[in-house]
Amino acid sequence: MSATSAVANNHHDVHSHSHDHHGHDHHELSFIQKYIFSTDHKVIARQFMFSALFFLFVGGFFALLIRWQLAYPGKAIPIIGNLLPATWVTDGVVQASFYTQLLTMHGSVMIFLVIIPLAVGMFGNFCIPLMLGTDDMALPKLNMFSFWLMPPAAMITMGGFWFPDGMAAAGWTSYPPLAVINGPGQTCWLIGVFLIGFSSIMGGVNYITTILNKRTPGMTLFRMPLTVWALFITAMLIVLGTPVLAAALSMQFFDQFLGSSFFIPDNLVTTKKFVGGGQAVLFQHLFWFYSHPAVYIMILTPMGIVSDVLATFARKPLYGYKAMIFALMAIAFLGFIVWGHHMFQSGMNPLLGTTFMLSTIVIAVPSAIKIFNWLGTIWRGNIHFTAASMNALAFIATFIIGGLSGVFMASAPIDIYIHDTYFIVAHIHYVLFGGALFGIFAGIYYWFPKMFGKMLNENMGRKHFYWSFIFFNLTFFPMHILGVGGHMRRIYDPYIYDFLKPFQPMNEFITIAAGLLGFSQLILVVNILWTIKFGKKAPDNPWNANTLEWSAPTPPPHGNFTEDIRVYRGPYEYSMPGAKEDYAPQTKQDIPSEVEGEIVDESMFKAH
Amino acid sequence: MKGWFEWAYRDMLSFFPENVSTFGAQLDGLFSFVYWISVLIFLLTYFLLIAFIIKYRAQPNRKSYHFHGSNIVEFTWTILPTFLFVGIGLFSEDAWTKTKYQMKVPKPDVEVDVMAYQFGWQIRYPGPDGIFGKKDRNQMSKMNLFGLDSNDVNGKDDIIIENAQLHLPINKNVVVNLSTADVLHSFFLPNFRVKQDALPGKWIKVWFNGTKAGKYEIACAELCGSNHYAMRGEIFMYSQQDYDKWLDGKNKTMLELQQKMKAEQEAATAATTSDSTATTQGS
Repeated sequence: MSATSAVANNHHDVHSHSHDHHGHDHHELSFIQKYIFSTDHKVIARQFMFSALFFLFVGGFFALLIRWQLAYPGKAIPIIGNLLPATWVTDGVVQASFYTQLLTMHGSVMIFLVIIPLAVGMFGNFCIPLMLGTDDMALPKLNMFSFWLMPPAAMITMGGFWFPDGMAAAGWTSYPPLAVINGPGQTCWLIGVFLIGFSSIMGGVNYITTILNKRTPGMTLFRMPLTVWALFITAMLIVLGTPVLAAALSMQFFDQFLGSSFFIPDNLVTTKKFVGGGQAVLFQHLFWFYSHPAVYIMILTPMGIVSDVLATFARKPLYGYKAMIFALMAIAFLGFIVWGHHMFQSGMNPLLGTTFMLSTIVIAVPSAIKIFNWLGTIWRGNIHFTAASMNALAFIATFIIGGLSGVFMASAPIDIYIHDTYFIVAHIHYVLFGGALFGIFAGIYYWFPKMFGKMLNENMGRKHFYWSFIFFNLTFFPMHILGVGGHMRRIYDPYIYDFLKPFQPMNEFITIAAGLLGFSQLILVVNILWTIKFGKKAPDNPWNANTLEWSAPTPPPHGNFTEDIRVYRGPYEYSMPGAKEDYAPQTKQDIPSEVEGEIVDESMFKAH
Repeated sequence: MKGWFEWAYRDMLSFFPENVSTFGAQLDGLFSFVYWISVLIFLLTYFLLIAFIIKYRAQPNRKSYHFHGSNIVEFTWTILPTFLFVGIGLFSEDAWTKTKYQMKVPKPDVEVDVMAYQFGWQIRYPGPDGIFGKKDRNQMSKMNLFGLDSNDVNGKDDIIIENAQLHLPINKNVVVNLSTADVLHSFFLPNFRVKQDALPGKWIKVWFNGTKAGKYEIACAELCGSNHYAMRGEIFMYSQQDYDKWLDGKNKTMLELQQKMKAEQEAATAATTSDSTATTQGS
């Protein structure tokens, strides 16, 4: 609460600067308007952050139940086993039907309620207006609505909890016919995810509008920080991709609820009867047309954050700024023509497999460019190690592994064997946990002082980083090995197969590492709560960074900036030769030189 | 603790289950090809990453090099990976065409139907006449998963194995016609490096050629419901001699069964005729 009071204090500061016209309206705002149904982008960003961190633990809890079952099938869950509802466990042992619900909800929660809200909802809201030097989003009411759609959508997604059949149990991919013959939990899931998609689209439209229309004078497109570029491209992916998901979900809803058969062929030997000749593969095409770009929706923003954080802490201009932007665009474009690589073994025409294999393999190129440019950024830099920069470096380290394991499954014939095995599970966690989440952590450590006006405890931040990084690798690296051994994903008890019996000890090891990985995340929560209560007050520009948000007061008041700002250069002019300071804020026209009194001509240091 | 750290000291490639199919070696070879390229790229990038982190760690008197990048460098590291990755793609193409293209499936020495269902596999052999009976989707039911057409005589002697045991000869091209009676399943033979999703309403040809006699496992690799994990089947690979012996045995049983059924049917018909005569007389 003291963070909010810090904000409140700042309102008075703002008010004393009488030229800020916002000062007048929001004095009359009630508590609810200010902190709950707020249209202020910074409050909405915080709301996204807290709700997503809450769901991170919900999803993590599901993951740990899955891990327990894989390591010790048939053994009661310790401590909490007997507290869980009888529809989930019998004598503390996870039931097979609940296991499928667990893996479905783990995936859905982590993707739709954690990573996307954090990467896009939180950073999109916080960074775009501040980094562009404007007072708020272009469409603040839509913005508020986009957040407030999330809580009901989340409740509905998990709504199967209230039904005897339980939650959705067809995987986060929800393939028909299984999804269609499942019970009301699945219907809830469809409606919930549809609403989440709706929230995403509203956010995306808002981001594009804001970026195109509300940049402060001097902020040309090619002076925008990479985070904003990444969010811009992400927003376009959302606006182009999510409607297709909405269409697929609606069609499946019709099949399930109204008895149509878009995806279901006739005469299935199931309890539900269908007439008409649908195609099950059609759903997969529609689903992956959104869900492959969705992977980039989750990873592009963290990529942008990592670029900003690395440049700041290496005190060096970002290597190949434009190449980085073009690589983002290339990833986004290619992202729309590679969806078929999820379906190599699905029974679609193998000729398409060839096409998708080639397009997929090409998408490795822009990813490689990004890796090389990050390496170029830290090359001959002066890297300061903080929780933020260490998480950003960890992003590179894990993204290299995640990218390389992607090459295996991009090759269609190699995918025959590793498809639907733990190799895929390892890959997606290296990209989404090791990649996206470490990037998000870097962003949280980096912008927290600006968001809450308090410096996060660096010591706890480092501990959180070390523990997470170590246990992340110990959890997910061995999964590649399980995959090579043929260990299928989504199986309740692997050990009924003779060829998987030798993997029990390795699964046990992974489970222990996963448990510790889960507990390490508590450090982050403790750190955030402790800092909000007792943290040190943050200066306006704690990292000596260039981008505009650091020129705003800390924390920024309603309306963000207390004076008119203009942008004079690109965002990464660190360590300019001859300059006194090793940074050059985008808002400052004149940079003091090393020699007292002289002014360095700004035009010498134009962004490339 | 035993086996906990196996992943850390054993070469990843040594974890593959034994390969017993003709194209399996090619697929494994492709995997190790990409694996070694990845190891190389991994070592290179990690070397640079770690070296830079150590060498360029913050020092009070150092100033970073003010440099925005170079187009020649960007161009180089765009072109090189493009060639490398497209090369991998083209190199993979042959194995993909060979294993999956429906028109390139070799002429079958042995052909079987496999029908996946919640939660198991049914297998159909053509029986003594060597001809599969016609299928009719409208006749599909729990008792008749394949939807055998009751009017087709060729189907009367088809052998249907309900316990998910597939018996096949080695060194023969086996073609499996794969489909499912309900939801999606995936026919996964780890030792043969075969995996193919089964689609409802569609028959997909899956082929392989086993090289070693023995007992192997069939798994389902596509989530198909609560008991997905329990869709375990077995595949027995025999020498041609042993296979013939097994098949002859099955065929013989099938013929005997058929004769027995025929006899019973005739007896039943005779009984009904006499019954009806009796009734007619009685009325």
